[in-house]
Amino acid sequence: MDMSNTSEQWGWLSKILHWLTAVLIFIQIPLGFYAESLKLSPLKMDIFVWHKSVGMLVFLLLILRLLWRIKGTIPDTVNASRIPQYLAQGAHYLLYGLMILLPISGWITSSAANIPIKLFWLIPLPALVGPDDAVKSLAAEVHEISVCVLLAVLVLHIGAALRHHLLLRDNILKRMWF
Amino acid sequence: MKTISYAAALLCLLGFPVASATDWQSDPANSHLNFAPSYEGMPINGAFKEFSTSYQTDSQGQPNRLIVNIAITSADMGNSDLNEAIGAIDWFNISDFPEAQFISEEFSDSGKETFLARGTLQLKGFKKIVTVPFRWQVLSDSSASMTGELVLSRSDFSIGSGEWASGEQIGVAVKVWFDVAFTTKKPNL
Repeated sequence: MDMSNTSEQWGWLSKILHWLTAVLIFIQIPLGFYAESLKLSPLKMDIFVWHKSVGMLVFLLLILRLLWRIKGTIPDTVNASRIPQYLAQGAHYLLYGLMILLPISGWITSSAANIPIKLFWLIPLPALVGPDDAVKSLAAEVHEISVCVLLAVLVLHIGAALRHHLLLRDNILKRMWF
Repeated sequence: MKTISYAAALLCLLGFPVASATDWQSDPANSHLNFAPSYEGMPINGAFKEFSTSYQTDSQGQPNRLIVNIAITSADMGNSDLNEAIGAIDWFNISDFPEAQFISEEFSDSGKETFLARGTLQLKGFKKIVTVPFRWQVLSDSSASMTGELVLSRSDFSIGSGEWASGEQIGVAVKVWFDVAFTTKKPNL
């Protein structure tokens, strides 16, 4: 299997980055909701360290993916009518956008709440903004709305992949698999 | 020293003008009392927005007495969630202990305008002997400044008790630093 993408197949680097991101996001979302539901305690703070660490890891992987995508090619879009094609493209751009918006709004929320970040209890991140209640509320709001949009887009993304695989029986899902 | 200040206080009470001692009072608008606990080894800055300090020096300009009253309810850590959290029973328990006080009448001169004030810090119902280093600079006949920095142990005052006591996440050592502007009190004769 090639490392680089071709017009028919995703290369292994893109596949690894895609599925690693998928796994991390499926850990990340419940982590966030769980942390948010807890009352202030050492456990809550530790769960948040995990949430922030996984979130920044997703962000880092996204940067690698975008660089790799810009540098090389991607497989051709399938022969479909225009509307599903636009939907698919829109969903992909939205996913990329959300994978930027979520970590950044989370980072701003933490900074504005005057809580320093240390990823995996090892790597300190600088504060993006100073402590500020209004900024904190706004960033938290953006973060929450973004995760709702993300959930909706993921349903579309996974649903479409399954539709291609099970109903249309084409190679859309296969070409992202190993 | 103590006897002298008691005598001076007595003379004051009797209405005698005591020229030797000077009473200084903090100017709240230009005074700052900050504290920084740490989270995973990283400082989180906070401040007590309301506190008052009175300081008396003798005729040689040497310290006689230092009294600091702190409104714990005014603790501000820059975020309303944090401010609410630190008022809880496990932390400052502000509903039972809204105020803290430091009183010192025992000083040693460390030279270069710096002193050590040994006194009692009353905080969250605990009384502990604390030594506060400070620099005292007289700027004019009627203005002066006091600056200093020390590290307190929050466990001495049971601040952050229960599941927070270990200091694993929120460190036990808390940095405290201050920059207080003083003016002379009007003689109350």
